[in-house]
Amino acid sequence: MAHPVDPSPPGHPGGASEGVCPITIFFDGKPISAQPGDTVASALYRCGVRIFSRSFKYHRPRGLLCGSGHCPNCLMTVDGIPNVRTCITRVHDGQKVRHQNATPSLENDWLSVSGFFSWLMPVGFYYKTFTHPLVWRGVEPLIRKVAGLGEVSPEPAADAGSESHPEHGSTGAGPAYAHIFWHTEVAVVGGGPAGLLAALQAARSGGRVVLIDDQPELGGHLRFQGKGRHSGEWVMPDGQDLSGLSGPDLARKMAEQVVKEPRIRVLQDSTCFGLYEGRLLGVLQKLAGGQRTANGSPSAGHSQALERLIYLRTQRLVVATGAYEALPLFENNDLPGVMLRSAAQRLAHLHGVQPGKRAVIVSEQADGGPVAADLKVAGVEIEAVIPRRELVSALGRKHIKGIRTTRGDLACDLLVLEGDRVPDAGLIAQAGGSLRWEEGQRAFLPGEMPPFVTVVGEAAGIQPNPEAPLPGPCSKKTFVCVCEDVTVKDLCDAVQEGFDHIQTLKRYSTVTMGPCQGRMCQLSSIAVCARQTGRAMEQTGTTTSRPPTLPISLGSLAGPRHHPVRRTPLHPCHEALGCTWMDMGDWKRPHHYPAPAAEPGASGHGATPAHTSTSHSHHLPTFVEAEYRAVRERVGIIDVSTLGRLDVRGKDAPKLLDKVYTNRLSDMKLGRVRHAALCDEAGILLDDGTVSRLAEDHYFITTSTGNIEFVQQWLEWWMAGAGWCVHVTNVTGGLAAVNVAGPKARETLAGLTGTSLETAAFPYMNCRQADVGGVPCLMLRIGFVGETGWELHFPAEYGEYLWDLVMKEGQPFGIGAFGVETQRLLRLEKKHVIVGVDTDATSNPMDADMAWVAKLDKEDFIGKAAILRFQARLATGQSERLVGFVMEDDSVPLDGSAVVHGGRPAGRVTSCRFSPSIGRGIGLAWIPSALAHAGRHFSIHVNGQLGQARVTFQPFYDPEGKRLRM
Amino acid sequence: MQLFSHERMWRSHELKSRYDAVIIGAGVHGLATAYYLGKDHGLRDVALLEKSYLGAGNSGRNTAIVRANYRTAEGVAFYDASLKLYEEMSSELGWNVLLNQCGHLTLAHTDSAINGLRVRAETNRFLGVDSRIIGPDEIHKLVPTLDLSRRPRYPILAALYHPPGGIIRHDAVVWGYARACDRMGIEIHPFTEAVGIRMDGQSVSGVVTNRGEISTRVVANCTAGWASKVCQMVRVPLPIVTYPLQACVTEPLKPFLDKVIVSATLHVYVNQTDRGELVIGAEIDPYQSYSMKSTLPTLEQMATYTLELFPQLHGVKVLRQWAGICDMTPDFAPIISGVESLKGFYLDVGWGTYGFKAGPIAGRCLASLIATGETPKLIAPFSLSRFRQDRLVGEKAAAAVSH
Repeated sequence: MAHPVDPSPPGHPGGASEGVCPITIFFDGKPISAQPGDTVASALYRCGVRIFSRSFKYHRPRGLLCGSGHCPNCLMTVDGIPNVRTCITRVHDGQKVRHQNATPSLENDWLSVSGFFSWLMPVGFYYKTFTHPLVWRGVEPLIRKVAGLGEVSPEPAADAGSESHPEHGSTGAGPAYAHIFWHTEVAVVGGGPAGLLAALQAARSGGRVVLIDDQPELGGHLRFQGKGRHSGEWVMPDGQDLSGLSGPDLARKMAEQVVKEPRIRVLQDSTCFGLYEGRLLGVLQKLAGGQRTANGSPSAGHSQALERLIYLRTQRLVVATGAYEALPLFENNDLPGVMLRSAAQRLAHLHGVQPGKRAVIVSEQADGGPVAADLKVAGVEIEAVIPRRELVSALGRKHIKGIRTTRGDLACDLLVLEGDRVPDAGLIAQAGGSLRWEEGQRAFLPGEMPPFVTVVGEAAGIQPNPEAPLPGPCSKKTFVCVCEDVTVKDLCDAVQEGFDHIQTLKRYSTVTMGPCQGRMCQLSSIAVCARQTGRAMEQTGTTTSRPPTLPISLGSLAGPRHHPVRRTPLHPCHEALGCTWMDMGDWKRPHHYPAPAAEPGASGHGATPAHTSTSHSHHLPTFVEAEYRAVRERVGIIDVSTLGRLDVRGKDAPKLLDKVYTNRLSDMKLGRVRHAALCDEAGILLDDGTVSRLAEDHYFITTSTGNIEFVQQWLEWWMAGAGWCVHVTNVTGGLAAVNVAGPKARETLAGLTGTSLETAAFPYMNCRQADVGGVPCLMLRIGFVGETGWELHFPAEYGEYLWDLVMKEGQPFGIGAFGVETQRLLRLEKKHVIVGVDTDATSNPMDADMAWVAKLDKEDFIGKAAILRFQARLATGQSERLVGFVMEDDSVPLDGSAVVHGGRPAGRVTSCRFSPSIGRGIGLAWIPSALAHAGRHFSIHVNGQLGQARVTFQPFYDPEGKRLRM
Repeated sequence: MQLFSHERMWRSHELKSRYDAVIIGAGVHGLATAYYLGKDHGLRDVALLEKSYLGAGNSGRNTAIVRANYRTAEGVAFYDASLKLYEEMSSELGWNVLLNQCGHLTLAHTDSAINGLRVRAETNRFLGVDSRIIGPDEIHKLVPTLDLSRRPRYPILAALYHPPGGIIRHDAVVWGYARACDRMGIEIHPFTEAVGIRMDGQSVSGVVTNRGEISTRVVANCTAGWASKVCQMVRVPLPIVTYPLQACVTEPLKPFLDKVIVSATLHVYVNQTDRGELVIGAEIDPYQSYSMKSTLPTLEQMATYTLELFPQLHGVKVLRQWAGICDMTPDFAPIISGVESLKGFYLDVGWGTYGFKAGPIAGRCLASLIATGETPKLIAPFSLSRFRQDRLVGEKAAAAVSH
């Protein structure tokens, strides 16, 4: 048990003596007291925890190594979040910390026996064994079970991370994650001395600066170094000379200047995790005051985000990310008690924790350099200082007990290493900068940079790393990669097997692929690869640096949950009727309304479409039955506000529409409506709808739901460059629309408008601008459902008013609202094809039996050449055709059922329903054209049996279309 | 015992001045072609040219999902044959490719999506491929961690369950084939880029590389991402457009998900590797590019949609993000055939986002075509000439974002 150091060394924020606000955290259920400013790891270390994790493959004990969030050794589950780097996670009262990947405890992990079998698990062992599929099937689940680190709750609902539901509103907790978008002239990444200076200089020359630092306080390594690398001249841009100060004092003075400077915006606790195209930086900011509850969600009533993702666009980028330390190679280099200098200094300086009692320092400076002084202040006895080349191995089983040197053994409980300094170059590589090996400094340093990037400080150049001999190829317990338990021997074996390129070596041995993303192991793996292949470091090269440079949570990346819902202006009317909703693209549409009250309990039945049953019921669901009867016998009303609507104006509008639509639209008389379809250049059907001519130079177009954005872009695409005078305006959001149809539709509407609805005055396929109940409407007399009816398009703000008015006016006639399901049945009885439902991305109008939409005598239109070829092909019988069919038996195949011919699937049913007017199942299906003759029979797979269907090209209901024209 | 052997997987060679056949691209398609040329047809004087390290292209960038539950009869038969070859691969090569047929679920969030899945289920069943539609209760039993509540914007209504689908170690497939090719005397040449193709009238006569010139009568273009660039060398235009496709991987977790989950509505697919990482893939980027750079908006999308499926993963961290580039054809089906205008030139390209699954069978069929001159039935629908004859395959519904 290590004892807290008192009084705390300078630089320790809110030191032990100030402990006014006691904090208790729970480690595997045990309460542990912590101090303000503590990290989880420092609190645990203070109370004697030495093993922080168990390794990935051999379950070796691992202790604090880097202390700065770079290595995988301190990963634990904190407040339900797995794989948290506890050495950079600050404590809060009530925090729940659990160990990972060890059973039953970190001290005694049963799976550590795997270490004894390491000889059975050489590099790539799983590729070379279990090659029999049956053996592998047995072994694979076991491997799966042992692999992995942290655990996540299996319960999706246990913790949603954030907040609200689009339908049900906020749960009150507020989002845990936020996103924000900023622009700046200069972004400086890194708040160490180099970054602070760069920010001050940039601000002095007039730029707006954002300074991004991942620490809670500015100053970088100065904060935890009494004396050291910063000794030298420090003259600020304003002339102030700060030379000779101690690290923490210098950090404070510089930070004061930066904070005072109004042109610098400082982002503390913020990690710049990637540089993306367009000079976009991804920055993740941890927000002060954010606290998680035990399951990781924001605490109750807490409305502020915990983490904020900043999309930062910058004109210039200063990389001042400094350097981190990598783990040197020697036997047992992963033993707890082996610590990089940065960890020991942080423990001592920032947290007032004594890292050990008796330390050996590995340093090239005879006196052990600054770290020796720091340790002495913290009360650590320095056993010896040895240079790297003399270190042979660490001794001990669960914790270091001593070391073996070339000159004999030394006892110690702490080994502090000056690791190789590695410039933090992730952003440099992402910026497109090159890295070159600098033999003098023994490091990869930035080479050529894009003009907008400047690299300063240790990221640009370091004090030379010592030249130390690499351990021999048989070092089985010398770990290159502590994330994945890859040893020097593993790498040497892999190279011998032919994985001698750094990229294949990485993929085969998994070195650099763990949570540390190569920070601990990249340099040494390159060195081993270079030695084994006899190539130079430069030639061996590095692996690709990919974003994010630090692991970023899915929650932060996703941000607040935002999945917009589109509701029609009539939404409240449907809600009032108690409809069952369905999603259609972004829209909510009524699937159906409750069946009449006469049959209680019927509503809600079949609320969502049958997905797993194998066929439709032979009888219609009661709700469809009632809605169907209303339309066919009386009058029905449906909300069609989700249709796309385009207003097309200009003297060249007829030219544009003739070019893009397959129909001829330039010769339409005013007040006429035509059905029209769009094809691409390959003759593939893209969309269909109606086109109404309101004036010589003014058309009103409807598109199918969900296709409006595409059709608008399509029209604009073909307009571009033609020099035509046309304006295409998407008016979808501004207009509500209903279709009122049925034998009593005319009577219903007649009471609301002065415009004559008699066929003589207002024939089928005509349109009129009319006043309906005081609302200006565009009325289209069309017949999608097969009855006399009018589609009314009118300003959205009158939506509910007009719906209620029509319902009231229609009441004496028995009006009923109908939903999408009934509309599908009604249109199917008319054999109307829905583009995108009955057609797919390879369907053309000829094969889809829609030849009438293409006016092949028109001079030219998009897709004409292809459609002509499709027409010619029809005669050859080499294609599939879309046909109507009637079932010969009682079955009603489900949509998507297979058409079977010659024992093989030869087509598919696209739509099928029970038709009340025919008394049989009817539908549309793609079948081989050899079968596509009226009256011909074919088979459909229904419930494991073959049902017989008969081809028809006629509508199933009112084939002459008399009812539409009445 | 192989476990303790450190024999080289494949040897390096000087480039010879002539080979019977040269394959451009040593990813899974090129390697499989070479492997079957050697194994089935005894053609071993073959050079595989790879412009980078082995597996640098899409063979090492895909999300390693295998399945056979396609939509068209042509597609199902083809991918099923490929899956069968994958099933035999570990024992055939004596090299474990870590195939895990854990099962594959394609989610439906709308009723029209259910109908699309039913078309696939029906076709699959007729062709003997295990695939069926299941409802939320059965989905919950298979994937208890999936959010089947009404919370998501598009709740899960049903799924196409394909038990033989699963994941594999993509690099292991590349290495296993490479070793097998090497043992047959086929030469693998990494860092050897084809920069030109020589023609002699209506036939190919050689390949120019950055390491020298090779004369040969047979050249197969087995590249992905650069297929149209290679074809430009012989002035064979391809109906291909190239888009980036991105993916990311998280830190390792204890077992959380042992099925492949795909959602076309949410443009995302997720699986967990044997090492415990979650692999998440996106839809292809919205614009064409040859860039393999990752983008932040796509990463945001992948995260957003993953959390719609598995909200409890919000604290799980992404370790790496990467991109591959995909050659898309108009009908989302590949091109495997010779070229009428150029004797000795073969194509195995246009693999969009589904090439890895097809590697073994595509290679086997192409090898057969090269060696015998006869087009195997399985690849007859995938000829280059179909685009002139309007005989598209129509795999879009099952191939787009469906991994």
